[in-house]
Amino acid sequence: MQFVKLGLFASLAASALVAATPVQAQVTLKVWSIDGNDRPGIADTFSKEFDEANDDIVVEYRYIPFDELVNETLRAFATGNAPDIVSFDNPDFALFSSRGAMLDITDRVANSEIIGKAEYFQGPLNSVTWDGKLYGVPKYTDTIGIFYNKDLMAAAGLTEPPTTWAEVAEYAEKLTDPANNVYGVTFSARAGEEGTFQFLPIIQMSGGDANKVNTEGAAEVLDLWKTIIDNGWASRDVLSLGQWDSTGVFNSGNAAMAVSGPWEIDRMLEDADFDWGVALLPTITEGGERSSALGGFNWGIMASTQHPDEAFRLLEYYVSQEDRLFPEFGNLPARGDIELPATGIEKKDAALKVFQEQLQYAQPRGPHPEWQKISKAIYDAMQQALTGQMSAMDALNQAQATIDTIY
Amino acid sequence: MSRILNALRDGVGFDILLVGAALIFLLALAGAPLLYNVLMSFQQVDMFTLGALFRPFVGFDNYVAVVRQPEFWLVTRNTFIFVFGSMAGQFVLGFALALFFAQRFPGAATIRGLFLVSWVMPGLVVGAIWSWILAGDFGVLNVILKTFGIIDTNIFWKSDPNFSIWAVVIANIWLGLAFNMLLLSVGLAAIPRDLYEAAELDGANAFQRFWTITLPMMRSTIGAVLSLGLIGTLQQFDLFPALTEGGPANTSNVAGFWSWQLSFQLYDFAKGATVSVMMFLLVLFASVVYVRSTRHEVRG
Repeated sequence: MQFVKLGLFASLAASALVAATPVQAQVTLKVWSIDGNDRPGIADTFSKEFDEANDDIVVEYRYIPFDELVNETLRAFATGNAPDIVSFDNPDFALFSSRGAMLDITDRVANSEIIGKAEYFQGPLNSVTWDGKLYGVPKYTDTIGIFYNKDLMAAAGLTEPPTTWAEVAEYAEKLTDPANNVYGVTFSARAGEEGTFQFLPIIQMSGGDANKVNTEGAAEVLDLWKTIIDNGWASRDVLSLGQWDSTGVFNSGNAAMAVSGPWEIDRMLEDADFDWGVALLPTITEGGERSSALGGFNWGIMASTQHPDEAFRLLEYYVSQEDRLFPEFGNLPARGDIELPATGIEKKDAALKVFQEQLQYAQPRGPHPEWQKISKAIYDAMQQALTGQMSAMDALNQAQATIDTIY
Repeated sequence: MSRILNALRDGVGFDILLVGAALIFLLALAGAPLLYNVLMSFQQVDMFTLGALFRPFVGFDNYVAVVRQPEFWLVTRNTFIFVFGSMAGQFVLGFALALFFAQRFPGAATIRGLFLVSWVMPGLVVGAIWSWILAGDFGVLNVILKTFGIIDTNIFWKSDPNFSIWAVVIANIWLGLAFNMLLLSVGLAAIPRDLYEAAELDGANAFQRFWTITLPMMRSTIGAVLSLGLIGTLQQFDLFPALTEGGPANTSNVAGFWSWQLSFQLYDFAKGATVSVMMFLLVLFASVVYVRSTRHEVRG
């Protein structure tokens, strides 16, 4: 009896609550990303704007550190507390889309007036595609090229940046100046994702890809890299330096060339007191096939969402604001139809133009749900060859054997 | 009923209650995860079944797969170098410092206190600092070695496969030195002075006094320091991401870091668990040796 009374009372109270809320029920969308920790980023800024502009939708944004994003989302998805929208680093995306954790938005995008599939660069688009279906949209992108110190080049009698890897080696020899602590070139061949990020484009240029790494061309360039390191034209520490530290050596004038990406431009303007430029990533043969690394993040709606329509509206809002990505946040949009406004800084504008062009050749890592294992096979092989533990071809063959068990 | 209550209040029951509470606590917080870990090493674990307890059993497949990994023997070799190199360095240098500061000279206690700094600092910070010290081109260590004429060309500690594991060992020795020194200092202080005075009167020299008095009296302290050192070294994780990430080409990868890499970087949780079970066997072996070596003291 007592229970029935309580139940009645509770249901009365509940209906009173429902009656008190506006006719239009509010929908809460949870968004997770790595933005907005130390300074305003894309995800937190746009989410807040959308939240304020729409009375029927509440957006709850949560910042998650880069290293914890995948683990945290996995755990949340397994226990049914996943966010509605999440953004991942592009090689991590396939892990989720291939297992049905992301919402298939192929049809929604086809009917959308705001999101157009055709405008995106092929590489970023591939990273959100799985099995021919679209599971997300690119958020922003980046890639790598080769920076060069124009003053040192001029002093060595060189006028044009290198276009092939053989030329990089040749230039590096001329530019190396041990007396003044200057290395010819610097790059990152670290035991980690950054190592793969810089080496995978070489494999792709040689006609291979993440599923076919033991190509003649890749072994040839690895041998060149080894020569460069063994002869002291590059520091042996490229094997343990990340890209940010490696480019720091360039900025301080201790390396004449550096392989890195557009995220370095602002710091370079501040730190480098010499004239510099950037060129497309060198190819294996003169005029040979181009490739470049593809970085950046993607947006996706998780399959467990209760509000797919509202989530897609939010996604459309993010996409509609993409012309603000570069001026406000310094990130490159992953599409070719947005004109980047000139900044008025000559070096920066010139560099951006090169990176915009380079993006057309950028290819994603994977996509594959077990990308991290493939990546480890690749950077392990690269390091085994560069340290002389194995010949380049043997190391790549061993990586291929590992990769064959994954693909 | 009252008999049970009485037994609880004073007597065996109370003892059992106290011990039982501690045991349950230990089983729940250490035993259960340990068993779960062992269980996982015999299962096929999928990314999305991580939370489940019942998964397909695969027998020893994970163990076979781990041993067949091309880097397995390299990691095993590195683990032994890292563990015994670090322990030997920490112990010998720690003992030497403890003996030195046991001498009475002005400021001895203060300077000994300063060594605590290395113990208080987080591993990641120590790793970052040593990362600069060990840098190949502009690192302090190379400059010092060059100044003293020990080397002609720079040693690339972190990037040369011959040195990379030693780079982590050096940093770890520095990190664990203070802890060893402190424990050993306490042991030294507990040795009665008059033993030394008597030995001196009998004409024993410094080395004889060390060998016949200090070492035997320190036996249990040394056992504790070494076994704690083994556990601490196997646990060491922070230095690896800060210094080498196990590279180049796994030449500085050890079991602990590898297990983390497999689980949380490659999302191969079964293999990560398998490696940690293998490590556990090593610790178990060391604990048995330690317990056996100190058994007579308990009886005496």
